[in-house]
Amino acid sequence: MKAQYINPFLTASVNLFRNYLGVECSSKAPYLNQDPQNLDEVTGIIGLAGETVGAVVLSFGRETAIGIASKMAEKKYTTLSNEVIDIVGELVNIVAGNAKKDLLEFRISISLPGVLVGGGSKIKWPASVPVITIPFDSELGPFSVNVSLKV
Amino acid sequence: MKILVIDDAMVMRNIHKNILLDFGIPDTDLFEAPDGKQALQIATSTSIDLFLVDWNMPELSGLDFVKAIRAMGCYKETPIIMVTSEAARYNVLEAIEAGVTNYIVKPIKAGLLKEKLEKHVLWGGEK
Repeated sequence: MKAQYINPFLTASVNLFRNYLGVECSSKAPYLNQDPQNLDEVTGIIGLAGETVGAVVLSFGRETAIGIASKMAEKKYTTLSNEVIDIVGELVNIVAGNAKKDLLEFRISISLPGVLVGGGSKIKWPASVPVITIPFDSELGPFSVNVSLKV
Repeated sequence: MKILVIDDAMVMRNIHKNILLDFGIPDTDLFEAPDGKQALQIATSTSIDLFLVDWNMPELSGLDFVKAIRAMGCYKETPIIMVTSEAARYNVLEAIEAGVTNYIVKPIKAGLLKEKLEKHVLWGGEK
């Protein structure tokens, strides 16, 4: 997948986590993920439709999810509560919605977000569409932005 | 001034409500709904002066809510601020066509939302 299709999601993520939430973070080189079911414990998922099919998945370890949710809500969470899960859904909603503005040719519509917790649930990636993973290091722990977009 | 905050994410409803409380809007004048369908029910039973509405919600989307509320005679001129992650230009145009008064793309700093709200909450409209 060309960088021009990944960069909107990278830009939206940096804008959300670093510029808006003030989380010190840096992205590493994106790579083709050969095992996209093997993500972290907390995953926010949103489907992409329109003149393409795809999905965006944000994946966090439990503590990272709790830490980032605390930043978002400006309150201290200590457990993976319903509020934290609610916020993870909102985060992936923002990344996907913001990335749309740089992918106008696809007239993307986004689904409602869903959040999976634990390793037992399977993510329904679009068939035969590669998944590109953008890893991030952050002060609150690593996380990743995973994008599948049929081009 | 009665304000209805509509967003399926509780955290966003709370952020918006806290800003409105900072303006001095009493808690009793703040209403909230997690989707457009429940928002319509509230708007039918209570006279609302300002709507803050998300786009992507279950049951009834923000866009369909705006169309429905504008079709009600009593809400033809009521300010509606859409606060959404939908950043594509065609989304903004679609929302304006449906009847929104103002459009804000998430994530937003509280200051920007305050600035937009001031025009309606403190001054009673765009100046």
